Amino acid sequence: MSETGVGTIAAGVAKAKADTIQIAGHDGGTGASPLSSIQHAGTPWELGLAETHQVLVLNGLRGRVRIQVDGQLKTGRDVAFGALLGADEFGFATAPLVASGCIMMRKCHLNTCPVGVATQDPVLRARFRGTPEHVINFLFFVAEELRGIMARLGFRSLEEMRGRVDCVKVRELSHPKARLLDFADVLTRAVNEEPAKDEPIDPSCCVPDAWQMSSTDEAVLEGARISLKHGEASQTHVQLTNADRAFGARLAGEVARKYGGEGLRDNTIVIEAAGTAGQSFGAFATRGTLIVLEGDANDYVGKGLSGGVLAVKPPARSRFKAHENVIVGNTCLYGATSGKAFFAGRAGERFAVRNSGAISVVEGVGDHGCEYMTGGTVVVLGPTGRNFAAGMSGGIAYVLDDERVLSGRVSKAMVDLEPLTPEDEETVRALVTEHVEHTRSARGAHVLSTWAKRHFVKVMPHEWRRVMQLRAGQESVKRASGHG
Amino acid sequence: MGDPKGFLKVSRVEEDDRSVEERLHDWREVTEHAPEEAVRAQASRCMECGIPFCHQGCPLGNLIPEWNDLVYRGKHAEATRRLHATNNFPEVTGRVCPAPCEASCVLNIREEPVTIKTVERTIADLAFADGSALTPHPASRRSGRRVAVVGSGPAGLAAAQQLARAGHDVTLFERDDRIGGLLRYGIPDFKMEKGIIDRRMEQMRAEGVVFHAGVDVGEAIGGDRLRREFDAMVLAMGARAPRDLPIPGRELPGVHFAMEFLVQQNRRVAGDAVNAKTAILATGKRVVVIGGGDTGSDCVGTSLRQGAASVTQLELMPKPSLVRVPANPWPEWPLVLRTSSSQEEGCERDWAVSTRAFRGEGGRLVGIEAARVVFEGGKMQSVPGSDVSLPTELVLLAMGFVGPERRGLVEQLGTELDARGNVRTDPTGATSVPGVFAAGDTSRGQSLVVWAIADGRRVAAGVDAWLRQVPMARAANG
Repeated sequence: MSETGVGTIAAGVAKAKADTIQIAGHDGGTGASPLSSIQHAGTPWELGLAETHQVLVLNGLRGRVRIQVDGQLKTGRDVAFGALLGADEFGFATAPLVASGCIMMRKCHLNTCPVGVATQDPVLRARFRGTPEHVINFLFFVAEELRGIMARLGFRSLEEMRGRVDCVKVRELSHPKARLLDFADVLTRAVNEEPAKDEPIDPSCCVPDAWQMSSTDEAVLEGARISLKHGEASQTHVQLTNADRAFGARLAGEVARKYGGEGLRDNTIVIEAAGTAGQSFGAFATRGTLIVLEGDANDYVGKGLSGGVLAVKPPARSRFKAHENVIVGNTCLYGATSGKAFFAGRAGERFAVRNSGAISVVEGVGDHGCEYMTGGTVVVLGPTGRNFAAGMSGGIAYVLDDERVLSGRVSKAMVDLEPLTPEDEETVRALVTEHVEHTRSARGAHVLSTWAKRHFVKVMPHEWRRVMQLRAGQESVKRASGHG
Repeated sequence: MGDPKGFLKVSRVEEDDRSVEERLHDWREVTEHAPEEAVRAQASRCMECGIPFCHQGCPLGNLIPEWNDLVYRGKHAEATRRLHATNNFPEVTGRVCPAPCEASCVLNIREEPVTIKTVERTIADLAFADGSALTPHPASRRSGRRVAVVGSGPAGLAAAQQLARAGHDVTLFERDDRIGGLLRYGIPDFKMEKGIIDRRMEQMRAEGVVFHAGVDVGEAIGGDRLRREFDAMVLAMGARAPRDLPIPGRELPGVHFAMEFLVQQNRRVAGDAVNAKTAILATGKRVVVIGGGDTGSDCVGTSLRQGAASVTQLELMPKPSLVRVPANPWPEWPLVLRTSSSQEEGCERDWAVSTRAFRGEGGRLVGIEAARVVFEGGKMQSVPGSDVSLPTELVLLAMGFVGPERRGLVEQLGTELDARGNVRTDPTGATSVPGVFAAGDTSRGQSLVVWAIADGRRVAAGVDAWLRQVPMARAANG
């Protein structure tokens, strides 16, 4: 987002080997955004872009990245200014949308788009009359106008234009307030003192490090070789540090490549890891994989979990109370579709957001837990943050609520809070037992031993109840017709 | 948008018209007004668009999505307030407006628009029934300034009401014997019954407007005198000069301007006696209406009710297509074939026909000679050998109006005219003569009632702003 200081951030991500840096202007945002976001976020893209380009040039980083700019770009003139201020790529959204039929209803969030643009509803989509040619035509006009401007300025390519702020002239402004504006900083042409470092942009310069396999990846693939090749059981031990990001994702990819979405038999590939895992530990783990981490992990544990089983537990020798400490970071199990995850400790914010089928036991979560969840089961053996279950339309959460505080922390628009049925009790007990088996959780064991005194609450989405009832109805119909 | 998915559940249902057999026997309104419940359901189809294109369609800037929602929620008092916030006479536009708002409705892209006009009329009628629309809103402080409004059509009435509510002493002059201009004497009762004008007049009287009907400004009172006696004046006398058809036989009895014919019938319906010698009646005649617009339609409906033997309506332009052509996309006004309620009642229509001569026998009109035309490169050309002759005893010329009548007041005041012969104004409505403003058809050329009301409101704001600037001299002297 274009704002003061964005250049510093850009320098940071350029050093961290980003390929592209996107500068978003304050004018953008979907029509469904809240007014506060539409009107009070960021600054014009021109400011953020100028700062970013200058900071990157001065620090010899400009050659490493492409800069993309967006925020209500509509004309060839916009593109010309973007290039002169330092951009390589240009994002268009509103204008091509309008070209293909958007009429700015600002109802994108209601699923009632009457021109079939911002909706998946087949009835409404039938009204969509846009064609690719509409967008192509629009962009041809943009390009044509840009060509005219380039010809007048004497440029042959956008690359030649990049950062040429000397071609920008400030218009004479008559308004007394406008005359107070000082464009000097925006229109400073950045020059690197050591020009050798400011190499021409070559996307390939960004590839090697980021794409190279880490040693832990290699160790895991090597350890699981017989499993990958023959489907036989394997076991691997690795030591992780927080530089090991997306640990297990490469393995998941290999399993999927060979065995598809079905994966392998349960527990075919067992990985015992120790240490502190970097982001996205166990991301996309597939069926047949069990990854146990003794230590802790950063954000996004089990992102997109696809059938694998994860367990994170504190080291055996640790003395602290695991259930009072955070063991995994934010946004764990984001978009998980299946599999299981057990965490002997608390998780950060946004736990299991957009989970659609994974099962998990955790000993406490931060704010926005289970937001937008559409399926799966989450058992929380401890406190939740606020806004729990907001927009949750499917799956079930069971929360241990001895203090009777959950009701105040749940967003109740789409869910009911209710006591557990005997079947629920059985489910939760079985899951907590499994949790203890995987993580030797003291908390879990204590809950099991004092089961009768514990107060669980079932968080049940209205929509999910309807789905369950429909399914039950279909089942009974099927059964009835089967007998007939 | 009480129901965000209302437009997916409810389809457009237009109000029914009374059966042709029934309505041809009376002069009452053709439309059978829909029950409130049905209108509420129709209002639920409004989607409260982020960019309400109906606002672009409506010259008044009516707050259409807002009152649609209020009607859906049954909040009629609030709906009445929101409707009257931008429109002085929704009971009129709810009846006679061609509803450009509906043409530009987002639902009109792929299917059928919200019945905005019906909703408007329903709000207005309910508010007339309980009197809430007619509560006078007199100004809390009088300015002591005097404003003369010349012409009591929709532009003059709207200007007068707005100026009175702003605290000025308004005198409204009307040449005819009754207030209302074309609303009263142009529009037939079968489209709009005239009682509503009288009820609005009561409200305006209570707000301080003084009505002077039967005063022909420019004849009875000179323009100069009005300028002396009033701090400002608004010219809103319409564009009453009709377009003529100067072809052989034009002088024959039986060839008349539409407005002569329509005014007479409106007088009859109002209970006035019409001089038998000058009476124009279609009864038993084969009528030809030349001109395919709204005025032409009014002639058709009126002729049929008088008992014409047949009615034929001729239009010079080619027959429009049934659906929009690509060069005329939404939200533009769709140039498509429309059939008015009068045309439904039984008339022959023909397009691309140019009338060449009126044929007489023994000093009486017996027929017309016409030829088919084609338009090539914007130029009209006759089709050789396409001559037709039609027998007729009455021809009504409804070919539009060429501008305000220049003789009389306009000449006396010496206001500049624009290239089309209308009184030239700046965006506030001020003419070239200080203190003289113009609104409606007088400055715009013939147009819709809704434009006239919008102009009346705009010019009232212009007059008000101007009066605040000029010193009180005249009022003090007076």
